[in-house]
Order: sequence, then structure tokens, then C-alpha cells
Amino acid sequence: MAETSNLAGEAAFNRSAARQLALFGLAVLIGLVALMWGLNLLASLTATASGASPAVDAANNAITVMLAEEPPQLDSTRSTDQVSGVVLGHVMEGLLRYDDRGELAPGMAEDWRIDEAGATFHLRADALWSDGQPVTAHDFVFAWRQGLDPENASEYAFILYPIKNAEAVNQGRLPVTELGARAVDERTLAVEFERPIAFFDKLTAFSTYFPVREEFYRATEGRFGADADQLLYNGPFKLSSWVHGQSLQLDRNPHYWDQARIRLDRINVAYITSDPNTRLNLFKDEKIVMTGLTAENLTNALEQRWHIHRHMDGSIFYLEFNHRSGRLTRNHNLRKAMILAQDPGELVYKVTKTPGYLPGESLFPRFLEGIRGKFRDQHPAPTYRMDVQAARDHLERARLELGLDAFPPLVLLSSDSPVSNIQTEYFQAVFKKNLGLDIKIDRQIFKQRLAKMTSGDFDLVLAGWGPDYNDPLTYGDLFASWNLNNRGRYSNPEYDRQVRIAQSAMDAPTRMAAFAEMQRIIHEDVVIIPNYERGVAYVTHPRVKGILRRVVGADTDYTYAWIE
Amino acid sequence: MAETAFTAEDFQPAAATESAQAVARPSLSYWQDAWIRLKANRRALFSLYLVIGLALFTLVGPLVWTVDPSLQDLDQISQPPGADRHAVVVAPHRPWDGSATGSASLAGPQSSSGGLRLAEAPTTQSVRLAWTPLPDAAGYRLYRNLFPAAEGQALGLPLFEIASLDVRHFEDRLDLKPRTYHYSVVALDAQGRLTGSVRSLEVPVSRVVTAQEAEAMGLVEDAGQLSLGDRIKLRAHPLGTDYLGRDLLARLMAGAQVSLFIGIVAPLLFIAFGVIYGAAAGFLGGWADQALMRFSDFVVALPFLLFMILLRVASGVQPGESGITPMVLAMVLLSWPAAARLVRGQILQIREEGYIGASRLLGGGAPYLVLRHMIPNTLGVILVTMTFAVPTAIFTEAFLSFIGMGVAPPTPSWGSMCNEGIKTMLTTPHELIFPALFISVTVLAFNLLGDGLRDALDARMRSAE
Repeated sequence: MAETSNLAGEAAFNRSAARQLALFGLAVLIGLVALMWGLNLLASLTATASGASPAVDAANNAITVMLAEEPPQLDSTRSTDQVSGVVLGHVMEGLLRYDDRGELAPGMAEDWRIDEAGATFHLRADALWSDGQPVTAHDFVFAWRQGLDPENASEYAFILYPIKNAEAVNQGRLPVTELGARAVDERTLAVEFERPIAFFDKLTAFSTYFPVREEFYRATEGRFGADADQLLYNGPFKLSSWVHGQSLQLDRNPHYWDQARIRLDRINVAYITSDPNTRLNLFKDEKIVMTGLTAENLTNALEQRWHIHRHMDGSIFYLEFNHRSGRLTRNHNLRKAMILAQDPGELVYKVTKTPGYLPGESLFPRFLEGIRGKFRDQHPAPTYRMDVQAARDHLERARLELGLDAFPPLVLLSSDSPVSNIQTEYFQAVFKKNLGLDIKIDRQIFKQRLAKMTSGDFDLVLAGWGPDYNDPLTYGDLFASWNLNNRGRYSNPEYDRQVRIAQSAMDAPTRMAAFAEMQRIIHEDVVIIPNYERGVAYVTHPRVKGILRRVVGADTDYTYAWIE
Repeated sequence: MAETAFTAEDFQPAAATESAQAVARPSLSYWQDAWIRLKANRRALFSLYLVIGLALFTLVGPLVWTVDPSLQDLDQISQPPGADRHAVVVAPHRPWDGSATGSASLAGPQSSSGGLRLAEAPTTQSVRLAWTPLPDAAGYRLYRNLFPAAEGQALGLPLFEIASLDVRHFEDRLDLKPRTYHYSVVALDAQGRLTGSVRSLEVPVSRVVTAQEAEAMGLVEDAGQLSLGDRIKLRAHPLGTDYLGRDLLARLMAGAQVSLFIGIVAPLLFIAFGVIYGAAAGFLGGWADQALMRFSDFVVALPFLLFMILLRVASGVQPGESGITPMVLAMVLLSWPAAARLVRGQILQIREEGYIGASRLLGGGAPYLVLRHMIPNTLGVILVTMTFAVPTAIFTEAFLSFIGMGVAPPTPSWGSMCNEGIKTMLTTPHELIFPALFISVTVLAFNLLGDGLRDALDARMRSAE
């Protein structure tokens, strides 16, 4: 009896255990489904709350885009970074602007005259601020004085230096009122030059030259450009909301003079992220209209059968040597050994693999115009062919000249981005393999790297330069001995002389000859090791047309875009 | 009553026989017993073999697989394991001006497709394309795709664009893999828009290597031994290569040295310190104990990762130097209190045991008591803590390397390898999977082993059996 009941009990227990297990499993399943549903609901709720919209909203004639970072502030007299440049390019306009073919076109000025001594700009009558008041010549004078005021400490003040007395004003030697720019009347702006300049018209499209209205600036009490309502707009769009760290919204500016060219009513900047995978997923989900591609997600993009575009953004990247006294890299033979020991083609095609990059050959990228044709076609860049034996000979000569038994490790400073990480590790191995040189990699965040570059705390630095205006001088004066962006402190009187010629000569042949000479000096003196010219491969939404990528000015420019 | 006759024999002593109270099994020491228990635990035993295997992988591996972990094999970047590695020897790359070369006779069946043709045999070194003028063209754009593009579909990656009719050739060198590509050339109108006239070409690319590269990679003794057209095998990479063509197996071994070094040295040091500290506190007792233990509470309250990072930064690691020493130091400074508390608790308990009192009565001094009686009795606990501390330390190292606070390149560690692998997770997952697998297996093995050791060493478990 006892035995049977026991067995039955066990069977009952087993049955109940199985039932319990099944019940438990069911409960878990229901719980999971409920959780998923709840999360999905929550996600859709927050999505609507933050105003996330589809990439293309044809009903409202709006598109959604993303930015890599949030602009630190939008005061055009102080802005330095590219992201601010993009936003300012949409909401502001200078005396001149770049049109959809990338050529200079009238902006706030409808007519202008430039000669060796100065320039006169006539503002158009329908040039208005977003509050309906006219843009006057005073607004430009005030903005330029602000840009140069030592108290404002604008890092881009130097770009105003072609104006008479600008440098002295910036250094505090003259009051701002002595600046050689004045408003003849409400609509006429007269500029005197410090010395003759051949490309002043191109400079006036740059953001530091944008106008600022004085009484509005004063009224913001130091918060100018910090918020959407702390800024006045004279461009095709105006900033109607700016949720810091989250989103920006740009709406058509009804007071803009050239209404005919704006075809979008709204641009939502709904995402701020620099992660390439996030951006690709946003694009895939039709949340943004454009994204760039990296080497890693290129295959993915090809599989999606997207239409891929390519754009050379004009930035050049190079290894810059430290030419300060006491540094080993001051030795010409060492520099020559290093440039001979590497091959930019291998770096670009096999290592970084980023679509769009071109192997670096010169300080002057390929897009620059010469006289009727590209500068680089008329003055082909001399290059070194990789030659390990010759490199080792130069290294031996350098060793004897420096009186060293063996080379101590060299410090290679770089920023902490995925591409520069790959690049530095590649160079570390190349110089070790071909020259037996030890390289120590010093990875720093952007600001820290800049600080170390300025103080000269490096032997080599992975540096890059993007154009400020469409003239070879934006690259050429980089290695002038007085330029603060010459972080390696390269100093060569002959090079300086050529820069002076290019700065003040008015005729193109003389200037181009000077640039060709700079290109030759950079090559022969091995001031830098050119790495690559940056290009981007990107994809755009098939219904959005007219998205512009620019070399100078706002890259990317949606002001000409439309929905099809 | 029967007479019992006693003989003299009855008064002989009995022969010595075995004791009736013989011990049934041989006497076992504490450690022998623990070993038997551990052996009975198959999970723990398997983990032990894994740990031994890892030790061999780290120490003996580099002697067997003698590949330099920082050697970059740029012909085999991001190769998955088991990829084909035959290559044909070709001449070094020379710039090309578009003129037809000697191999113009290469008129394959596909190379006659439309106006686009190959100027030379397509190789991983370069693909040289030329095309005949297209109708209504003012310029050309060249695309490369992985698939044949149907009518109206995307043509792939734009490689080249020219607003001139004079240049009708292009050399592609970008990241060529030994596979089939589909090239298309399209005509552009004067505004740079597509006109719709497209010529496509299927290009099977073959893997090549130059004799100089082969010599530099150590495939042959001397480049002179090779003649053009020879077929050679590239370097073998059993687990594939990373984003710079470095051998993943060699890097995993080198990474294991860093990871296991930190994983074992750091716990050894902080537990040794913790034992001394805890024993001192427990033995001294009273206000000294209070003071010592409150200080250890203070250390426990420090946020661990934040202080790890702060200590690393404050230790002034020079750029390019590996941060292993500061990392170990930081771990020792922050991790000892757990061991100290444990040992102090044990000592407090043991101090009151009878045999301690006996030993004291027999004249045992403090150092003798601690070293002879107390610490040996806590060894089991210490060993278990140690085995659990190892995976934690490995994990901490991996985490710090993952966020870039660890070793400096080119020294690999498992964590930094994961950090690099995650960027290419979608295209070449093996670069992430292998280091991640090693971290997981190591951490799991040490944890299971620790579990088994605790079961085996804990004296209280014996009566439960």
C-alpha cells in the first residue's frame, strides 16, 4: 500500500512539476511579449515627443538630417568649427556667396568693385534681417570689428587681416575704430586693404565676414548666438528651435531676398551623432536624408543597392615634422629617410581603404584652380618613390650628422579617431620595418592634441588642413614662419618670401609661380609627409535632389535641395 | 567438573596480530582530500584543464607559433580564417599613363564587352581599365560594384570622374580583393549628369604579390629565386588577420601574456597584502583592529573604475608607453580590502580555538601562532578568493583596454583587440569573435574552477557528504 501510494505521489509530483514548468514557460513568454510591446509603445511615444520625423516629409516640404556634433555656439565672429560653419551657412549670408555650381555669386551685395587699394560693396535694397529690418553696411563694420576685438579673442581673426589696420587692432595696438572698413551710407561699404590682395571677394563669403547687427548684439548681453532666439538671421533659413544636445530646426526665412531659390520649407536636425554605424542605421530606416560611408560599412551600402556619391572635401592630411631646434626631426636627412620609407598609395589603398581618399602628393590639393585649369595639372607635384635602400642611406647620414649611436624613439602625436589609429599603427610598423626606427604613439583627444601641437610637444604629428577660402594661399601660408598654425615651426626665408609674393601680387601668373615654388620647397625640404587628400563617399535619399557638398563653405548645403 | 589441564603453552604470550581497530582507509591530508573532491567535480576538473591549456597557450604557444604579432601582412588584411592564400608573383607596381602595355593581347571573352575593356590582367595590385568613346559624352564616371547592376539600379561605388574626353583610362587600386567586381563606365553630359549610356564589365581579380613583398614577408629567402608568374603560398594565418594584416593567433597569444599577467600578478599582490593586513587586524584586535578595518572600509567606498582611471592618469604614463605597471598598481591599491576582511574574520574565529590556547600555553609566540596555525588554516579561503579574483582582474584589464586606457600599441591585449574588432563587426566578425571568445572562456574557466575549489576546500562541506 505504502509503496503504491508513494509511486502515485511521485508521478503526481512529476506531473505537477511538468505543469509548473509549462506554466512558468508560458508566463515568461507572456511577460516577454508584454515587455516588448510596452517598450515599443514607449519608444513610439518618446519618438513623437522629441519630434522625430521621417527623412522626407513631402506634406510639410521638410527633410530630416543629422549633424556630427552640436555647434558650440553660433556667433559668426567667434565660430571656428565645421559644424557651426554648416549651420551658419544655412542661416546667414555674407556679402558674396557660393552658388549651386560652387562659383561666387552676389549675396548681400548686389554690386562690388575691388582694386589694389580697397573695395566698395553696394548692398541690395531687399537685404533684410529675419525681423524685417534692412541689413546695412554698419552691420558688416560692426561684425568685423567684433571679430578683431582682442576682448572677443576670435581664433579666426587672422582671416580679416587683409583689411587695413586689422592686425594692429587685433593685437590691441589700435582702437577698433581705426579698422579700414566704414559704412559710407546705409547701403555702401568701403574697405581699405592693408596691402593689395587678389582674392578678397572669396574671403567675404567666409563666416567671420558675416554681418552682425549692433543693437541686437548688445541686447543679448553676451549670449549672442547661444540660442535660437539670441541670433538674427539674414540667410535662406532661420533657426526656429534649438534644443541643446538634441535637435535644431531650420525654417524658411520669409525675409530672405532670393525666395525663388529656396525650395524646402523646413530642415530638421533631429540627430546629433558621430558614430558611423548609428548614422548608417538611421539612413537605412529612412530617418535622415544623407550619410557618409566608411570603409567598414561600404559593403553594406553596396548590398543595399544605394546610389553612392563621391566628394573631395579639399582637406589634406599629412605627417608634420617638428622643426624646432633640439628636435631630431630638424635633420633633413632623417626627414628624407622617413619620406622615402613609406608609400602613401599603400596607406590609402590598403590600410585606410576609405572610399574617396586619394594618395597625398602635395600640400596643394587637386581641386585648386590655376590659370584656366587646375593648379596641379599645370604644376604637377614632384613626389618621392618609395626606396628603402635610399632611405636607409639617408638615415645613416642623419645618424652620423647627429652624432648618435642609435636613434631614440620618436613621438608620433595623433588624435583619437578610428582612421588615425589605424594610420599611426601602420606608420609605426613601416618605420620600424624599413628604418628600424621606434615610434611611440601619443593619442590625444582633439583639444589636447592641439595644445600639444601648439607647445611643440611632439616629433611627428598627424595633422590635417581644410580650406577656409578658395585660393591656394589657404594652404600655402600654412608654413610661413609667422603663421601660428605652423605647428612644427618650420622657418625658411625663401618660403616666406614666396608667401609674401602670393599674398600681395595681383596677377595670377606671378601668384601661381609662387605657389609652384612653395610646392617645390615643401617637397625638397621634406617639411611634411603628405598622406592623403580626403574624399567622402556618401548616400542620399532618392527623393531629395540638389544636396550640395562643398569644398569651401557649408559642407553639406541643403539650401538648394528639393523633394521630388 | 572436568579437570582442565593447563600446559605451559597456555602461558606463552599471544603472538602479535594486527590490531582489530585498523583504519579502514589511508590517512589523508587536507590537500589530498581536497584534490579527491576536486577530481570528483567534473566541471571544475574541465575548467582546470582549460586553465592549464591557457597557460600553455600563453607560455608555450609563442615558441611553437613564432610569428611576430606586430608584423603587418598588407596583402592579407582582415582575412577570415581558412581563406585561400595562393598568389602569383608579379612585377612591382609602376605608375600607368593609360598607354596599352605588352599584355594588350589579353582579349578574354569579357574584355570585349561594349566599350569598356581591361588594359591588363586584373590583379589585387591594380585593375587597369580603358574604354572607347561613349555616345553623347562630355565626361565619364567609373563605378565599381560587387554585383551586376540591372537597368536603373545603383552602379556601386564611384571611383573616378573626369569632365574631359581625352582621358579614357583608369587604374583602380582601392582595397582590391581576389573576387569578381563589376565595373561600369557612364557618360556624363556637360553639366556632369548621367546620360544613361553605360558600359559594364565583369572583372575577376586574382591575388598577386611582388617578389620584394614576398621576401619582406619571409616567404622566400631571396627575391631573386622567384620569377614572374610563379605561384606561391602567402603566409598562413590559422585564425585570420586583423585590420592591418597582423596574425590574429599570434596577437591572441601576445594579448594573453598581457591579460593573464595582469590577471594573475595583480590578484597575487593584492591578496598577499590583504592577508597580511587582515591577519594583523584580526590578531591584534581591539582599537588597532577597528582602525585598520575602518581604513579598509574607506578604500572599499572608493568608486573602483573611476579611481582606476584617475590613478592611471595620475601615474604619468608617458605617451606610447604601456600602462601595465600603473594598471597593476591601481588594482592592488583598490582591491585588497575584500581579502583583508575575509582573512580577518577567519583569524578572529581561529584565535579563540582550543589548539591556539594550547599552543599559547606551551609558549608559542605571536609570529609562531600566526604563521604556523592561523594562516595555514585560512589558506583554503585565500585560494578560493584568489581564483575568483583572477577573472575579475582579467575583465577589468579587458574593460580598460577596451575604452583605450590600457596597453599602448602595438602591444595587443584581448580588450584592445575587441575594441578594434568591434568597428568591423559586421564585415569581418572574426576580429571581434576570437578575442571575445578568449576573454569569455578564460573568465568562465577561472570562475568554475574557483567554484570547485570552494566546494573542495571548505571544511564544513565534509560533514555534509
